[in-house]
Amino acid sequence: MAVVPQPKEKPSRVDEQRAGFARYKDDVKTRGKPFYPYAMFHDTIMSLVVVAVIIGLAAIWKWTSYGPHHDGLNPGLLGPEYTAPADPGTVSFVPRPDWYFYFLFYLLRIFKWPESVFLGTVGVPTIALMLLIGLPFLDRRRERRPSARPVAMVAGVLTILSMGVLTWKGATAQEALASEVIRDVPRWIHEENLPPAAVPGAKLFATSGCTACHTYAGSGGSNLGAPDLTAIGTRNLGIPTQVKHLQNPSSVTPGSPMPSFASLGDDRLHQLAIFLEASKGTH
Amino acid sequence: MTTTYKRKPTKSELRRQQMETAIMYPVDWLEERSGLVGGLRYFLFRNVPADVNWMQTLGSAALTAFLVQTITGVILAMYYTPSAQTDPATGQPVAWESIRHITDEVTMGWLVRGMHRWGASVFIILMFLHMGRVFLFGAYKYPRELNWIIGVLILVSGMMEGFTGYLLPWDQTAYWASVVGINLNGTAPFLGPWLAQFLRGGQEIGGETLTRFYSMHMLLIPGAIIGLIGLHLYLVIRLGVTSPPWSREAAGMEPSENGRPPLRPGLTRAVPRNGIAGQPGGQK
Repeated sequence: MAVVPQPKEKPSRVDEQRAGFARYKDDVKTRGKPFYPYAMFHDTIMSLVVVAVIIGLAAIWKWTSYGPHHDGLNPGLLGPEYTAPADPGTVSFVPRPDWYFYFLFYLLRIFKWPESVFLGTVGVPTIALMLLIGLPFLDRRRERRPSARPVAMVAGVLTILSMGVLTWKGATAQEALASEVIRDVPRWIHEENLPPAAVPGAKLFATSGCTACHTYAGSGGSNLGAPDLTAIGTRNLGIPTQVKHLQNPSSVTPGSPMPSFASLGDDRLHQLAIFLEASKGTH
Repeated sequence: MTTTYKRKPTKSELRRQQMETAIMYPVDWLEERSGLVGGLRYFLFRNVPADVNWMQTLGSAALTAFLVQTITGVILAMYYTPSAQTDPATGQPVAWESIRHITDEVTMGWLVRGMHRWGASVFIILMFLHMGRVFLFGAYKYPRELNWIIGVLILVSGMMEGFTGYLLPWDQTAYWASVVGINLNGTAPFLGPWLAQFLRGGQEIGGETLTRFYSMHMLLIPGAIIGLIGLHLYLVIRLGVTSPPWSREAAGMEPSENGRPPLRPGLTRAVPRNGIAGQPGGQK
């Protein structure tokens, strides 16, 4: 009985995948080594290193922030152990997330309110997450060697680079401290031709934490997608609307991430509103 | 575990045999009723590819960091009080006061809290490094797609732990970061305002928010993570770990045909497994 050679059909991808995995199972069975003790030995050493690093970080945190009053309020190499108690009444605090959210935090400097902030808060992170989850279905080739996966490798490097840059930029983002911004108030008055009635509001603006997110005539830090306010008065929103917005931002601008400044009290909100309405961006 | 003797066993041999039976009895008892001993034996003595390397310890390193988080977290929960109310004795918020107490007064409290605080960062970093390793090795491909997705879910859950845990010290840093974080959640379309409202537990961030975050931080999200890690490990054991893709001994490479150069050079052993090219299935 002569064997007639059949024309070879190209195996489907699923068949190739299954055959590859069966070969893998067979190879591991015949040529592998037991998890214990070989791989487990490496895992154990690595785990001990991890625990040692965590204890080390805790110790550095403790001992570098250990102040004369033992109050934990002195920042050390890794920051203070705790800051002052939460106080909804103070608004001069710069909001800062933990470092692994810096990339999201900084993304909101790139996308500005109101046109595109949605991209920074939801759009880009959602797309990135969908791509991450979908990776095994986007890249369905069997090839695993990095040298033969140029597209995947370039995409991976670009992702790491952009995450790294965003994290770094977020970490080194300038914080607008009230004590520094208040020195710019005379310049604002001069450059923007602010009337005397707007001066108390300008001082409040500099010291109440507004500049943690908003810029004004080049002062302050641009954070969380907050717009520049140098020319906010040209929109002629009116004093009552400005006050209402400061009391409850999302009631005037739906979806605004800005916190309420109602704790400043009506008088000071009124002063702030006068200042904002007087800001016509004349510079 | 019984030894058969050709001759009559001596007294000392008999005694040893009885000892062995006595020692193994609880193990055998457990195995007969649960199969757990066999399961553990399978876990420990299952084969892994001979060429696994140090990069493949990152997953178990991340698991270790998570275990540190659970242990230190349980200890912290014994001393921490999630209340935004003012403590009449000190005039400070109760939650803040309990964190200060843990940090400054409880024996080794600074260490436990420090390990929890920084263990979180180490956990996140190790998850990212582990993910990078899996990406580099192409280990997310068939048949491990599902485990990649579970891994991404663990990463996201871990970051949610970071977000909810950040508020608990109830200090200025915590409060204002959470105010903005919750407001940012509110910018999402459709579900955003509802989500922000749910996270806050009301119109303002206050005591309701704190207890809500506490509950999510130590019950909901860790429960989810533990379940996901269980699934993740089950799939790792079921599907096995991959060889480094550049390895000349990589498990699962395509055999070369008839000693001819392989169709896919990189996927084929440069050095034949058994010394003779083209004879698959040989043993060393």
